[in-house]
Amino acid sequence: MAERPEDLNLPNAVITRIIKEALPDGVNISKEARSAISRAASVFVLYATSCANNFAMKGKRKTLNATDVLSAMEEMEFQRFVTPLKEALEAYRREQKGKKEASEQKKKDKDKKTDSEDQDKSRDEDNDEDEERLEEEEQNEEEEVDN
Amino acid sequence: MAAAAAAAAASGSGTPREEDGPAGEAAASQPPAPTTAPGARLSRLPLARVKALVKADPDVTLAGQEAIFILARAAELFVETIAKDAYCCAQQGKRKTLQRRDLDNAIEAVDEFAFLEGTLD
Repeated sequence: MAERPEDLNLPNAVITRIIKEALPDGVNISKEARSAISRAASVFVLYATSCANNFAMKGKRKTLNATDVLSAMEEMEFQRFVTPLKEALEAYRREQKGKKEASEQKKKDKDKKTDSEDQDKSRDEDNDEDEERLEEEEQNEEEEVDN
Repeated sequence: MAAAAAAAAASGSGTPREEDGPAGEAAASQPPAPTTAPGARLSRLPLARVKALVKADPDVTLAGQEAIFILARAAELFVETIAKDAYCCAQQGKRKTLQRRDLDNAIEAVDEFAFLEGTLD
């Protein structure tokens, strides 16, 4: 069975939660409706990606950026998304900046430590490196562990 | 000792490590709720899955992190929007459960959803 792009679904639990929070209390959703919405969301992402890519190519760029996506939203007649998306983008940028600064600060502290303890490679250092790797992974992307 | 174990279990880290890391965010990334900082849940959809969808497009070379994030957030907004529109149809039928046909009606009725026609089968 070939894996088509539309088969890449977003997690059911998250979709259900978003739907429930959008609707008034006491409203339910059938399994068929929920899975249809989930597919619709995937199709939406694919369509938005394609639109955004057109803008990137127009700008002779090979990398999709946030502006391309925002332009795509307008093109797709989802202008009402543009403002909330811009706000989310601001918040995201602030958070990324904060994380980066925090990690850089940690690295500086660590460098100070390892400079003095360079001779012995103690167990503790290995553990610290593990922790840092975990943090780095976290701050780069919300990578999902394989289900 | 039991208290420490209970605290470790509560904080979400299953492995009983002796070393008590000062960084509270040392917990491994768990699906599906991305908890980076309290109250800063910027997107609920896992970015990795969104990225997989983006990469499925043969014309796309690369996509920046911000682009992926905005797409995820846009998809959330889309789900909210279509759910609400579909609910309007269910309300008219005096039902409290959203059915597949409510969704189909919403797609037909709303211009912006025209791109969905024929894709959900």
